[in-house]
Amino acid sequence: MWKEIAKFGKKLVDGGYLSSHFGNISVRVGDSITVTRSGSMLDEITEASVVTVDLHKPSSLDLIASSETIVHREIYKRTSALAVIHAHCPFAVVESLLNDGSIEPYDSEGKFFFHEIPIVTGNIGTKELAENVATSLEQHKGCIVKAHGTFAVGKILEEAYVHTTMMEHSSKIKYYCDLTKNK
Amino acid sequence: MLIYIAIYIEKFSNKRVKIPKIYKRKPLKVTLYKNQKEIRLPHIEKVLTVDLAKDKIRAENIQKEIASNYIGGRGIGVKLLFDMLSPNIDPLSDENILIFATGPVTGTIVPLSGRHVVVSKSPLTGTIFDSSAGGFFGRELRRSGFDVVIIKGASEKPVYLEIDDGHVDIKDARDLWGKNVRETTSFLSKDGFKVSCIGKAGEKLILMSSIMSEYTHACGRGGLGAVMGSKKLKAFRVKGSRDINISDEEKMKKYVAESMRLLNASPVASKGLAYYGTPSLVNLINTMRIMPTDNFRKVHFENAYKVSGEYIAENYDIKKKTCYNCFIACKREDKKRGIELPEYETIAMFGPNSMNDDIEKIIQANLICNDYGVDTISAGSTVSCYLELEGGNDIETPLKEIVEGGPLSEGSLRYSKRKGKEGSSMSVKGLEIPGYDPRGVLGLALSYATSNRGACHLRAYMVAPEILGKPKLIDRLSFSGKSGLIQIFQNISAGIHSLVMCQFSSFALSEEEYSNLLSAAVGEKYTSEEFIRMGERIYNLERLFNIREDISYSHDTLPERFFAEDRISKEEFDSVLDEYYVYRGWNKGVPTKEKLDSLGLKKEAKFLVERDS
Repeated sequence: MWKEIAKFGKKLVDGGYLSSHFGNISVRVGDSITVTRSGSMLDEITEASVVTVDLHKPSSLDLIASSETIVHREIYKRTSALAVIHAHCPFAVVESLLNDGSIEPYDSEGKFFFHEIPIVTGNIGTKELAENVATSLEQHKGCIVKAHGTFAVGKILEEAYVHTTMMEHSSKIKYYCDLTKNK
Repeated sequence: MLIYIAIYIEKFSNKRVKIPKIYKRKPLKVTLYKNQKEIRLPHIEKVLTVDLAKDKIRAENIQKEIASNYIGGRGIGVKLLFDMLSPNIDPLSDENILIFATGPVTGTIVPLSGRHVVVSKSPLTGTIFDSSAGGFFGRELRRSGFDVVIIKGASEKPVYLEIDDGHVDIKDARDLWGKNVRETTSFLSKDGFKVSCIGKAGEKLILMSSIMSEYTHACGRGGLGAVMGSKKLKAFRVKGSRDINISDEEKMKKYVAESMRLLNASPVASKGLAYYGTPSLVNLINTMRIMPTDNFRKVHFENAYKVSGEYIAENYDIKKKTCYNCFIACKREDKKRGIELPEYETIAMFGPNSMNDDIEKIIQANLICNDYGVDTISAGSTVSCYLELEGGNDIETPLKEIVEGGPLSEGSLRYSKRKGKEGSSMSVKGLEIPGYDPRGVLGLALSYATSNRGACHLRAYMVAPEILGKPKLIDRLSFSGKSGLIQIFQNISAGIHSLVMCQFSSFALSEEEYSNLLSAAVGEKYTSEEFIRMGERIYNLERLFNIREDISYSHDTLPERFFAEDRISKEEFDSVLDEYYVYRGWNKGVPTKEKLDSLGLKKEAKFLVERDS
């Protein structure tokens, strides 16, 4: 499983969706979550860079898991997602600072697949953030945490990756369009 | 608003009469559930119960809790059947119940919403069984004033049920008994009625009998036509002119527009199926080497092109046929002869799986099955099984034996058991496997095995991701990650079948669009997760029904043929099955107390507690 996580970690960094240390990836395996470790570089993931923690409750292994594991766990507990990607996509963060509530994509793919992208609030690694993100993802494929980054879900990792890149793409298109219109 | 629907009973006459005959009608007062508040439910609401043994008809509102938790169609059918049916009854006895159900989007502006569902205990598998059909019957049923019709008991003499814009009659069908589907439908569809009926197969209680709507739309699988036959119910015809209620029309227009954009952008829905119909799969499936061939003893058929969608398009003057509000129009008709052409599953079973490359013979087999009212998958697979055990390549003789009620008509499992060759029945839980060899589509393999109604490609519809790459292409030759995926797709499909929408909508739509359409239809907000959760509840309740019938986890498997030569590793399969149970929250195929409590199925699971104490 770590190989699949490594593959998409590298793609995310190579594509400029986050810088190496900022973001985390997980997949659900039965009653467990395999998640990237805190401080691991997403473009250099090895078997030692991931850790498997309990789906239902925090364990001692949470100590070395990503600081956002609390959010991943809440998402898995409340949705049918089997994969989650959290990335600090730059244009998505910019749009979350310029808007409240949600953004409506201008591009056709964004309109097709998201209809709207919710913007949620909460501090990093908190229960409040976990609840807000999970609530949002009960209805949407992805959301943006204000001033922070994206959370995207999928039934497979590739789907979560597509949702992440599409949120960033839609944010970028919207940003440039708004910029041009306001000139 | 107190619902008062004019219901009329027609007492059955012992006199032989010509059809249709006008009888004296007695008005019947509508009985509501106890404590039912006078509210206008936006959900599926109007339920008609027809007791054929007692000549009684009753109309009532469905309980709000059931409507909210089970959506409609398959979900409501499963819930009602579970509550009403005693365990271990003979499916062909008068104790069995037959439920026709529509869903909250049936017959509305929602695309691909022309389907209805029939739910009963299957005489073929002994499991709970839902079978659905397209066409226009479902829409007409809702327009006639009823959303769900429950048929109890059995008539002494042949009858048909008629709903004419809220007026209900049980009518004499003695003149129709002994006639096949075409003749029966032709007679009863006069004056604008939409007709569901059985042919001679259902009358003879053939275990793979279908219920045919408007000539060619089949509630094909599971032998529910035999249940109808056991009740001496020849047909059910409906006509209506009432508006179908949508709670939030503005939102519905918005969500329908979004759904249409996605459907139009899907190459499978808007191009592949729209151009060749379902036979477009023949060459694709054969190229992928998953074509059932020679009763699943091979995976590739040399002459597949001669029975393919392309061949049919080149050699026949084709007319497209559609269901209500569907732009795909996947059905095909031979314009010259005015006859229906076979769909993919029928071609796969009577073609490659029976080593037959003569498309005309398949067309004729399809016509015979549709007219007698027989499931083409079970019939075709049973023919393939017969050819394996008896030799030869003549599909006509065994098919004749099936439709006329010979020993083969009991299906491949019973037939092969009698021959001492059970391993030649390519079935799961007694239901014949459709046209995709599970050895090359491992998610589908797990889906066949864990399906509550037996081998079915539509329970999780892994054909979409594993073969067609929708919504994402996944490795069909690996079990990795499949256990988690299968249960989600099974839950989503249970939701789709409860809305009721066509499975082909899932090429483009996800739980997000389905939950939006549901919300607009009923006026209550459902999130994507709530939609999936409802599907999960339905799937678990079906499982409880089967457990009550002593169908255990040992039935969650595949025919031994697929494990031979390690084509599917039994060890790996068992491991993935265990993983699937973990995702489900089941212990050896039985839902745990925690899972059942979380789904609100405590009351339904009471028998489990009593059994285990």
